[in-house]
Amino acid sequence: MKRIIIIRVCEIFLKGKNRFYFLNLLEEHVKKALSGINFKLEKLQMRYLVEDFDESDFQTIIEKLKKVSGVHTISPAYSVDSDYEKIKECVIPLCEDFKGSFKVETNRADKSFAIPSVELSRMLGGDILSVYGKNIYVDVKKPQNTVKIDMRENGKSLIYTQTIKCVGGMPIGSSGHGFLMLSGGIDSPVAGYMMCKRGMKLSSVHFHSYPYTGEAAKEKVITLGKMIAEYSAGMKLYVVKFTKIQEAIHKKCAEDLMITMMRRFMMRITERLAAMHGGQAIITGESLGQVASQTVESITSSNSVVTMPVFRPLIAFDKLETIEIAERIGTYETSILPYEDCCTVFLPKYPAIKPKMDRILKEEARLDVDALIEEALSDVEVIYL
Amino acid sequence: MIYFDNAATTKPLFSAVEKAEAFIKDQYFNPSAKYGKGIEVKKQIDLCKASVLKCFPPFYDLIFTSCGTESDNTAIFSFARRGNFITTQGEHSAVFECFQELKKRGADVRYAPLNIDGSVNVEELLKLVDEKTSFVSVVHVNNETGAINDINAIASQIKKKNPNAIFHSDGIQAFCKIPYILAESIDLYSVSAHKIGGLKGTGALIKKKKLNLTPYLFGGGQESGLRSGTENVFGIKTFAEACTAHFETIKLNFDKALNLKNLFLQNLDKDLIKIISSENSSPYILSVSAEGLRGEVIMHMLEEFDIIVGTGSACSSKNPHSRILKACGYGAKTLDGMLRISFNESNTVDEALFAVNKLNECVKRLKGIMRK
Repeated sequence: MKRIIIIRVCEIFLKGKNRFYFLNLLEEHVKKALSGINFKLEKLQMRYLVEDFDESDFQTIIEKLKKVSGVHTISPAYSVDSDYEKIKECVIPLCEDFKGSFKVETNRADKSFAIPSVELSRMLGGDILSVYGKNIYVDVKKPQNTVKIDMRENGKSLIYTQTIKCVGGMPIGSSGHGFLMLSGGIDSPVAGYMMCKRGMKLSSVHFHSYPYTGEAAKEKVITLGKMIAEYSAGMKLYVVKFTKIQEAIHKKCAEDLMITMMRRFMMRITERLAAMHGGQAIITGESLGQVASQTVESITSSNSVVTMPVFRPLIAFDKLETIEIAERIGTYETSILPYEDCCTVFLPKYPAIKPKMDRILKEEARLDVDALIEEALSDVEVIYL
Repeated sequence: MIYFDNAATTKPLFSAVEKAEAFIKDQYFNPSAKYGKGIEVKKQIDLCKASVLKCFPPFYDLIFTSCGTESDNTAIFSFARRGNFITTQGEHSAVFECFQELKKRGADVRYAPLNIDGSVNVEELLKLVDEKTSFVSVVHVNNETGAINDINAIASQIKKKNPNAIFHSDGIQAFCKIPYILAESIDLYSVSAHKIGGLKGTGALIKKKKLNLTPYLFGGGQESGLRSGTENVFGIKTFAEACTAHFETIKLNFDKALNLKNLFLQNLDKDLIKIISSENSSPYILSVSAEGLRGEVIMHMLEEFDIIVGTGSACSSKNPHSRILKACGYGAKTLDGMLRISFNESNTVDEALFAVNKLNECVKRLKGIMRK
């Protein structure tokens, strides 16, 4: 009896001839996520088995695999010889904590095994009941617990009772490289996570307005970045000093357009950084109508300064839906720490909700946009997360 | 670096640390051990206790704790047991939150209002005292404004109204800084080591000898059973040495700090910066406000010149304003711009002059930027 972990993929099985490209990428990322741990990875038909690891690494492996994009589910399992007595010996202790109903489900790929699958399930069910019959009963339609027996053709059976849902989607790197605008709020980390799920490799850009926001605010973004980096198989964080641009806008442009102008600068700078470092898209955490800068008019204004595609995975999400994901991926607690991001500095009392393009252009003409951008780009801090 | 956040913590006194070094190098034995070397360490702790107690009249004893907060908690939860309990709106969170907790548990808790400078309104405080009052806690020096409460007088007035009430004072910003001899009316007094050149992780609760404390930590029975837990010998020794050094020079240091504070006051651009601390406040703390601006931003601007000051409180839009300064009656604009400059005897005149000029400069610059 050997402890193993089964890895399953989801969407990749829809792929045709290029399926192996995706599988190889996934394999690469699984190995990267588990680097530093001794294990063997066996490839099956659309599944992988993690084997031969030290028992003490078991929980770590589970936690790491949960964050690998492209991994749909995992099951901690046992591998035993396909022999009735041995299977029984493995199954009985696994059912110790069962409460309520249960069923045994057998998949017999190994047709040389004498007992048919339905029969085997029935026999094992009987064995389980004879031990725990006082506390549990059989329900084959809607069981609360399921024991799965997967009899492979190599004479081994995989036995498990638990299936853990992971990120799903596609392996990192299979969908290009995006530049995430990471503010430190609730939304942007979630947006980054969602693009990782679609297989997009991430870099991130943070706009820092020291001294208006402090070191603590930057540290918070780094912490969030590290959390997202786990889903992106590592990530670079570009910290752009944004203070001069903000001061210039504040000094020369209409107050109500402060945020509109800032967003336009941020988009331009992000696009430039992406172009310089192999990025193919910009990712933002915008959600339609959530704040003044996320109305369709405001988005039109900020979108119009770039040509790269801009992905906004949260565009139709309610705040509560976003919070739900943030809690699940563990970024929420950090996101709500009370340090300000650069958007709250110079916050106008009444920001323009529906900024007009001709007015924006007129106001922006007061600034030397190119020079300000060049200056910002000349002093970017890169942090490897 | 120019360090003006000494009310938050002070640089450990090197000579004190040096004298304590033996306790991490050679004399690392458990003071509760029965062999000679253990007993020797225990003796040293007793000597340290005696050195700290030299700063107080002879009717006091003390227990060493892990910090000022522990001292406050021990005092409050030991004696606030029946009847009603009184404190002020100007307490440090280490006291204030204890009273909030007592209130949550259903106790009759009363808060005395403050004067504009952060000192307690004594008249109002006395009105709260009745025959059922069992415990009163009044901070000695307000940690945000530096306002000094005359605790001897307050305690004796309270005891005139109710002789059975126990009086505690949080003396963390006053101890070894303000020349002040505690009168018998003070039952308990909390002090902390790291505000006077000792280490973080050491404090003491000064208590009247005849007073019976209820322990807060149970275990091996250290500190006469009043505070179990193996003693932090290194911290205690450093604390004792720092006490001795500071107590000997308390008046000299007081004058030095006063001189620095006055330099600040003379040179501050009063058109831009409002002074919050009153004239007779602790010379170690100067609270000011760049009204309409954000104190935190100014703090960061000063940081660029390697000048460290405190903000008194984080005053971002997501953080509430300082509870204490709000209780003094200040409005949002003043609260936003709060800065706390706190001195130490090792700060120099040049440092003060440089810092005050930079402060004026930064406020002026920021005001220019935030013109709208």
